[in-house]
Amino acid sequence: MKTLSSIAIVLAVNLSAARAQFSSADHSVTVQVTPITVLQVSSGSVNLNIAGGNAVAGEDAMSIVDQSTSLLWGSNSSAKKISISSNLVAPVFTLKAVALNPTQGLAAPEATLASTPADFLINIGRSTGSCVIQYTGIALASQGTGTDAHTITLTIQTQ
Amino acid sequence: MKNRSLFLSIIFCALLGSGWLTPQEAIGQIQVNGGNITMSISTAFPGSEPVAVINTLTSLRYPRENVVTKITVRTNCTGQNFGLSVVALAVGGGTAAPQVVLINGMPDTDFITGIPGRPPGGFMTATLQYTATATFAQGNSTELGDDVHTVTYTLIAQ
Repeated sequence: MKTLSSIAIVLAVNLSAARAQFSSADHSVTVQVTPITVLQVSSGSVNLNIAGGNAVAGEDAMSIVDQSTSLLWGSNSSAKKISISSNLVAPVFTLKAVALNPTQGLAAPEATLASTPADFLINIGRSTGSCVIQYTGIALASQGTGTDAHTITLTIQTQ
Repeated sequence: MKNRSLFLSIIFCALLGSGWLTPQEAIGQIQVNGGNITMSISTAFPGSEPVAVINTLTSLRYPRENVVTKITVRTNCTGQNFGLSVVALAVGGGTAAPQVVLINGMPDTDFITGIPGRPPGGFMTATLQYTATATFAQGNSTELGDDVHTVTYTLIAQ
């Protein structure tokens, strides 16, 4: 009799557990993420004016440095880098750029800007980050005077 | 005779305690209306993570049972890479739980609680608000594939 009672209780408990769930329903939810790249330079324009104050007696080269702009980027693709180029094919003076204090990736060596893209930041991978853009303008006394108006392009591309 | 009475009493009490002797037959079936959905994350602003996508195109339809019930939610998404959460809006009966983060293999988690019982019959609805999120570091579907969740809602006694 004890055995029968135990069976009855177990049966009732199991029935209770089975009946606690009334019904269920499901559906499919798909999350897609497209490749996204964003870039933004903090300031619209930079003026590098080389004047007499930048000249050192006995030296041909005069230079000036600007660190007033910064770069923000985001990329969710792997193996990416940021390159930099100028629209000027044959500038009179020399303009160089280098990334300072990047929060992600590795700054490439200072590049002389030309129409051919040069590495600016490498190994940024899938990240969002920022860095300071340091421009250096260099003029030789022998190059005389004038103005180079560069349009600088920064591009996220496959490394 | 005494043992027989004791045996019957035990069975009666067990069945009563289990609710077997009360009419708890399912009044109706819980349903997801609106079918399957796809959410696409495709924009971002410099300095911020990609913009989350919100979808409120689907809803739950659930019956009033004989007892107080609740709805739980879980998901199955093998190889999940991105974020997905859900919360009930415009709940017709019961109380919406805080937003539930859907993670592959999660246990059943409260979604709507305190759905009133008696009188049984009739259906209630709630809007399903899904929020899909991704960070730049989490990558993209072209390289990793989509996250395909099978989200299951279960109506159970509370």
